[in-house]
This record gives sequence, C-alpha cells and structure tokens, in this order.
Amino acid sequence: MGERARHSAKKSISWLALSLLGFFLFAMILADSRSASAKPLPGGNFRAIPAFARKYGLPCSACHTAWPELNNFGQVFRDNGYQLMNDRDSPIWQNPTYWPMTLRMTPNWHRERTNHQPVDGAPPNGSVVEQHGFDLSGFDLWTAGTLYKNISFSLLPSSDSTGAFHFENAFVRFDNLLKSRWLNVKFGKFELDNLVSEKRFLFLSANGGLYQTYHFAPVGDANDFGLGDNQIGLELMGHSINSYTRYSVSVLSSNSGNVGLPSNRTYDGYVTFSQAFQVGRLGLQRLGGYAYVGRRPTFSQTFTTAPIPGTGIGNKSFYRVGFAGDLYTLQGKWEFLPFFLHGYDSVFLGIGCGLTAPCSPPVTLPAGAKAPTWNGGFIETHYYYSPQLVLTGRYEILRMSRQAFPTPTMPANQGDIDAYTAGYRWYPIMFSRAGLAWHNEFSLVKTAGAIPLSGNGVGLSPLAPLTALCSATRCPGVWSQTLFFGFDFDF
Amino acid sequence: MKSITSVVAFFFGSLGLALAAGTTPCFAQTDIHFHTVTGPMEAHIGGLAGHSSDGKTLYRRFCVGCHGASGDGNGENAIWFDPTLGFAKPRDFTLGVFKCRSTPTGALPTDEDLFDAVTRGFVTTNMPEWRSLTNQERANLVAFVKTFSTRWQTDKAGTPIAIPPEPPAKIESILHGRELFQKMECWKCHGSEGRGDGPSAATLTDSKGNPIRPYDFTTGERFKCGVSNHDLYRIFMTGLDGTPMPSFADNIKPEEAWDLVHFLRTLQVSIKTPELGTFRQWVSAHPGQLKPIGQEAPPGK
Amino acid sequence: MRSKSVSLLLPFVGLLAGSVVVVLANPRADSGTIEGKVTYTGTPPKMKPIDMAKEPTCAKEHNPPEMAQNVVTGPGNVLEYVVVYISAGGPPSPTPTQAARYDQKGCMYIPHVLPMQVDQPLQIYTDDPFAHNIHPLPKLNPEWNKSQPPGAPPIETKWSKPEFIEVKCNIHPWMHGYFAVLKTSRYAVTDNNGSFSLKGLPPDKYTVTSWQEQYGTQSQEVTLAAGETKTITFTYKVTPYLY
Repeated sequence: MGERARHSAKKSISWLALSLLGFFLFAMILADSRSASAKPLPGGNFRAIPAFARKYGLPCSACHTAWPELNNFGQVFRDNGYQLMNDRDSPIWQNPTYWPMTLRMTPNWHRERTNHQPVDGAPPNGSVVEQHGFDLSGFDLWTAGTLYKNISFSLLPSSDSTGAFHFENAFVRFDNLLKSRWLNVKFGKFELDNLVSEKRFLFLSANGGLYQTYHFAPVGDANDFGLGDNQIGLELMGHSINSYTRYSVSVLSSNSGNVGLPSNRTYDGYVTFSQAFQVGRLGLQRLGGYAYVGRRPTFSQTFTTAPIPGTGIGNKSFYRVGFAGDLYTLQGKWEFLPFFLHGYDSVFLGIGCGLTAPCSPPVTLPAGAKAPTWNGGFIETHYYYSPQLVLTGRYEILRMSRQAFPTPTMPANQGDIDAYTAGYRWYPIMFSRAGLAWHNEFSLVKTAGAIPLSGNGVGLSPLAPLTALCSATRCPGVWSQTLFFGFDFDF
Repeated sequence: MKSITSVVAFFFGSLGLALAAGTTPCFAQTDIHFHTVTGPMEAHIGGLAGHSSDGKTLYRRFCVGCHGASGDGNGENAIWFDPTLGFAKPRDFTLGVFKCRSTPTGALPTDEDLFDAVTRGFVTTNMPEWRSLTNQERANLVAFVKTFSTRWQTDKAGTPIAIPPEPPAKIESILHGRELFQKMECWKCHGSEGRGDGPSAATLTDSKGNPIRPYDFTTGERFKCGVSNHDLYRIFMTGLDGTPMPSFADNIKPEEAWDLVHFLRTLQVSIKTPELGTFRQWVSAHPGQLKPIGQEAPPGK
Repeated sequence: MRSKSVSLLLPFVGLLAGSVVVVLANPRADSGTIEGKVTYTGTPPKMKPIDMAKEPTCAKEHNPPEMAQNVVTGPGNVLEYVVVYISAGGPPSPTPTQAARYDQKGCMYIPHVLPMQVDQPLQIYTDDPFAHNIHPLPKLNPEWNKSQPPGAPPIETKWSKPEFIEVKCNIHPWMHGYFAVLKTSRYAVTDNNGSFSLKGLPPDKYTVTSWQEQYGTQSQEVTLAAGETKTITFTYKVTPYLY
C-alpha cells in the first residue's frame, strides 16, 4: 500500500514536471514569437483556413468562435462559397503571389489507458494497459478558395501521422446559381452538411476526438456508413442572406466516401434543414433536423466465385434521423450543442451481411433476428472566456434499443457507449495570418462489449473474446481514457 | 483512481498555468488594450439599445485586425490594403467622420446609419457584411465604435435629410437627371459613361491622402452606401465625408435629385435596370438628339 | 471698421501684391503696435508651376502658370502667407459679425491663407464657370465636403474650434489653401515683403505666434507699453523639400 502510494505520488510529480516542461518550451517559443519548426496531425479531421484570414485580413476569431469551429459569420462565408461577397472575392483581384494554402498539424504528447486488456499473467477479466509518449497527429495540406466569382473549390490531401495521404475532400462548387443564394451546387468529396461539424470541432484526443454517434455501428453490423465520414456526391444547398435559414440536399455514392468504384449501383440521400433565431442578449440560437437514407449491398455478382467490383446487389436499407441545435447564452460567451440521432439498419446488415461477408440468397435469418435500432446523442458545451481561451466539455451517450440478435446471443446493452470529454484550448496569439493553439484534453469512454472507437478509428483491443466479459444480458464497461496535450498549429 | 487524481491534477494545473501565461504580456499577445477616448457609450437603433461595454469584446473578435485597438484604422492588416489597387484603408474612427450617412455633410451620422453600414459592409472593400451577427451584437459594436472619438460627446448626431416621395422614373425625369449629371460635373470624376474614369479620377485622394477611385456605375450592382434608390439619393445629397464625393444638397433641389437618381440608374449597364430600358428606348427613337456628356459640352447650361 | 473692409477688399485688389494686413480691434489712443517680418534661413523648396491642363479654361487664364504656394518667399529671405497672431495677452476680442471671404477664381484659392476668428461667419464664393468641390480637412472641427457648381450662391459656414484647416478641391487637386481659425481677431498675414503689423494693441504682455503651413508655429513674448511700437522678427529654418 505504502509502496503504491509512493508510486502514485511519484507519478503525480512526473506529470507536473512534464506539464511544466511543456510550458517552458511554450514560453520559449512564444518569447521568440516564432513557431516551433515541428512538422507533422491526426486523420486531418480539423478545419480552419488561415489562407482565408490572409486573403481578407480578418483575424481567426472573425470566422471562428474558437478555430476551427465556425461562428455564424464564418458559416455565411462558407455558404457563400468562401466569398465575402464584396465583389473582390475572385482571384483576379488578388495579388498574384497570394497562395490559398493552409498547413495544419499537432505535435503532441498523449497517454492512452484501457482496462480489461488481455495481458499475459493477468486475471481473467484482463488488466489495465497504459501507453504514453510524444507523438504526431496527421497532417493537412489544404487549398481552398475561389476560381472566379461564384466558383469555389477545396482540395484537401490529408495524411496520417506516418505521411500516408488520402483525399479528405476535393470538390468544386458553383455558387449563387441564377443569382440566388438558395441554389449552390457542390460536386466531389465533401463533409456532409452536418449541423454540428465533426471536422471543425474542438477535440483532438484519440478517445475524445470524434463523435461516437457519427461513426457508430452496432456490434456485428456490416454497414460501413458513418455520418462523420466525408461522402462523394453532389450537394444542393441554399441559405438566407445571413444563413439563419439553411438547407441542403445531397445525392451520394453508397460507399461512405471511399474512392474507386462504388460498391453497388444505388445512391444515398441526405437532407438537412436548420433555422436560427436571435434571442435578445442571449445571442443566436439554431435548431435543425436531418435525415440520411441509404442502402448497402449484401452480396455481389460474381465470376468464378470472385465478386465483380461495383456490382453489389441485394441492397438493404438503413437510415439516420435526428435533430441538433447550436444554442448560446451570455451574449454568445457560452455555447451548447445538443445533438440527437436515431439509427436503423436493415436486419440483413445487422446480422453481418455485407460485401466483406456476403450472404447469398436465400438468406435464412436467425431465429428472432431483428433490424437493429439505437439512439445516440450528446450535449457539448463551450465557454469562450475570451476569443483566445475556450473551455470545452462533452457528454455523449449511445444506447442500443434493439439488437439484431436476441439475448443471450447478444446482451441487450452490447455496443452501448458513454463518453466524457473535457478540455481547453488556449490561443496565445490571434492575428489574421496563422494560428497556434495549446490544446489540453482529457477523455473517458466506456463501451459495453465492444472495441472503443478512437481518433484513428482503431482503438485499443480489449479482452478477446469481448463477450467473455458479458453475461447473458449485460456487458460490463470497458474504460478507455486519453490524456492529450499538444500544440495545434495552422498556417 | 490514483490515475484519475493525477490526471485531474495535471489538467487543472496546466489550465491554471495557461491562464497565468495568458495574462503575462511577455508570453504572448494577450488582452488588447483599447485606446478609447470617451466613457461608456450607447447606441439606439429603433428600440434596441447597444452598449459599448458589450461591444468591446465583439470589436476585439471581429474588428480589431483592421480598425486597430485605437480605432484609428491602423490594425495589423491596414498596411496590406493598397489604395492604389482600389482597396480602401480601414475607417479611422478617431476622426468621427463617416461616409454613409443620412445626415448632412459635416454632421455625425445617426446610430442607425452606423448600424446599417456595419450590416451592409462596403462593397469592393474588405469590410464585409456583418448581417450574420445579431442585431444586438451590431448595436453593441456601434456603441463601442463611438468611444473612439470625442465628437460623439461634443456634437449631436445630425438630423437626417428630408427625402420627398420618389416620382415615377419617366423619360423626362431621366433626361433631366442627365442634364444635372452634366451641369453638376459628376462626369469629371465618374466619367461620361459612369465608368469612374473622368478627367479628375486619377488624382483623387481621400482625406488622409490615400488614392481613391470614383464609383464605377457600369460594373457594380451595389453602391458604397446601399442598393436602393433612396440610398443613391442620400449618397449625393449628403456626400461621402472623408472622400472626394461632395454633398450636392445646396445645389440640387430635392425633387430634381430624384431625376439624377433615375439617370444614374441608366449607367448600370451590367444589370438591366428599368431606367436603362426606358432610356435606351427613347434614344433609339430619337437618334442624334443627345449631346455628349463631358468637357466639350457648354458648361453651366 | 475701415481696416476691416480693407481686409475684405485686399484679397482682390492686392492679389498681386499679396499683401494682407489686418487689425480688427478698435484702435485706442494708448494702443500700440507689434510689427515686423518673417524671414527664413536655409534653402527653401523650389515651388513648381501648377499644371492646370485638366481644366483648360484655367490653364489659359494662368499663362505663364502660377507657382505652388506651399512656401512663398520674397526678396530678402522673407516668407509670405505666414499668419501672425496674438495667442495670449490683451482683452478678448469679440467675434466679428462681418464674414470672412474666401474666393475660388481661375482654379485658385484667394487668399491662399484666410485667417478668421472662431465662430466668425465664413463665405466661400466661386467665380468660375465650372464646378468646384470645397473640401476642408479639419481634425478638430467637423469635416465636410460640398459641391459648388458655377453660379451657385456662396457657401455660408463657420468654424467653432481654433484650428489650421487645409482646404482642397478634389476635382482640381492643385487647389490648396488654408483657413486659419483663431481665438482672436488680432492677426495678420505676411505680405510679399514678409511684413506684418498688429495694430491697436492695449498695453499688456503678449504672446505673438506665427504659423506657416510647412514649418509650423513659433512664439515670442512681447511686452507693450502704452502707445509703443515694437518690431520683432520670426525666423524659420527651412528645408529644400516639402513634407
């Protein structure tokens, strides 16, 4: 006991020492008013474009509540196709040396810790595994801007922390068709017009750096769809002059944003609508709803038993519907983001029929199999102490309401998630040329009988088989936590 | 749980350090010190009251980059606005001189005028529309902008000029407006076709000595101070203070002013205004009857 | 009274002479005079001829062309268009009701520098067959900008705060003059001999200030006994460039 207490005290001291070290580094860098010459950030999930700040001379805080999250002014700018609408947006008005290029990365230190891990010599319920060290996030190399008045583009090659690139987004947009703000067409790969953007949120850690509801699939489900994944397709969107009213309608390839031939020959559809209201000294309040409807194949045409790409058939449907809000109090200083999602997958997807595990017809459903349904949601809050310091917090909850397989094959709570995240971001400088943030975050995720999702989509593998932990009706929680701090820089 | 304790200790410890560092000037750009010259100000837009104390935070968030902490238009970005390329410098609030007003030249604008200017922005400049902010936020900003000049304490806002009801834009009105355009020598700066290329255009400077271009009617849809005929009326009857655009209130009678408005609309060839249609129809029916506008024409008559 | 009307006529009559001598206080038996010259040392900037090609009527009228008036020198190293005024001492001078007159003629401001007292009426006339805009650029008083087409009546205005106000016409950018708005009516503008004379001063200790648009102000203390005339000289160190 004494040994352990000493150990613990020693650990606390080492954390303190580390944080102090971090700050001394920080102070030195800032005193020199130069950014660290560090390079490499994760998954390229986070969006702010100092290239626009440089183009227009506006400070980061003009478009962002705290970058990368957009405020309504930034939303209008984005809805206008990256245009201020001052008749000077077209590149023909730009100094030719202007280059709309943005770099973003976050060198960081993080600690991951998960219980119920299979470890040699550990008890049957597994043991705690802890890892920590200095690390890099993935890296964004983003160009975006206007090609001409009312024609805009975005191209975002994004890498993981090893430098393996993919195209996170790539689209061209035709704005204000027929001189109407209500008609804008985007073509390519882009983020869904989610009311709460996961690409522009204020969390970076492995466990906290994603919305669970945006990437959730029930245990054993074959659907690869994630609301948070950038999709490929065509979007028609429109907005009022101040973007208080917004809508979007998208037609998307049914392969969750992956490039190459779509896995089948159907298309998904997504619609969103939101309306904002001014409420006196509270600030702007936005409420909206969304619905995503799609189909996924359960088998392919084959030739000598090998599937022919892009010929997925046996399409089975799924949908996601819900509502979200963006609510302010204290004259915009305190923000709340409620979000709710109801999910449904066809029973065939639920029992695991998909392209990776095709179910050739006729499929015999297991006795009692049902289409899985679930409800998820979160409440997120941001307190803007100043444009240069924001405190963040989020509680997310996900509950299965109907499993594909009845108990005891699948305990009723298997797949449930509770996630807690708290953090702050401090922007020691806030000019209109580049961004630097000191980011500190702590997140905790409890999953029931499932691998915890984490920022890179892999997570740490808990005890296998997962169900070994579960009783017939319940799975105990697997706790996974992240402590993260780093310098988030954006040029 | 010990782990949790240490995590929490670390978390709050470093947050505390961040807060401490955030208030220590040598570490970073910290709280901006505004150089205001008046006490708290208010702005009244209809029934809405704006407060400078609330506007300060908003100004820091949205405005300081261009207009600066002293409100003198020397924010960090000001040097990048090249007036020789037609990009106006940010407004200097310390002068208490404003372009877009409903009040006579030399008078302070009303709070509503400033509110409208913030809402609408200034086309062809880097001042965007701020209509995406709430009315309350814009009212607060107007109140804060007033703290940069003592004029708001010593002078009262002017009385908006009276504008008679607009008569129909008949051809007689357009033709008379054209005569005024000649007689008042609008063409000296704005050019005979309204392209902003008159003989005096090249040498124009604003009150701070920066080059400034006359408005080009042929390419723009919006004006510096609005889009409507009433806005256009106000522009030349009040003048754009701080720029070479004078007030014509002493020289153009209110009813004649509408004629000039109607003629100016015919210069907007990039958008098909009804006035342009009426005018073109008349011109094609009366070939060779119009004297050209400009230096050759007999002045004054 | 008489000297006042003289002051108003002089801009026309004495344009070529460039001589403006103004004393507005009522002369008294024991009143004294401060007079003298404004001179310079160093090399003054060379004034360039004004190019009025953009307004052909004016170009024709001024042949050979007028010289710019930023720094006007005379023989004997003297400076013209320097305002000399009592900045302290003596009784307060009442605000004149007679208007100060400023003229636009042949694309020139006449006089180049017009002194007046705070709240004194100011009339701005145009004599030209084309439009001007009158655009004073004050820092303390409200800035305004008015058009004045040919045949328009004079613009009637006044200034409520003492200030040296640059005046320009944006249409004719070479038109450039000053309103010297002073707290007193005891002022003079040096003539082409660099001379000034402040008459009718009761005995007192005075601060006399001179102002030149390029080189700013200088002050001297002068104690005047009854009926005394004192001669003082202001000397500006000039530089061969304008700023």
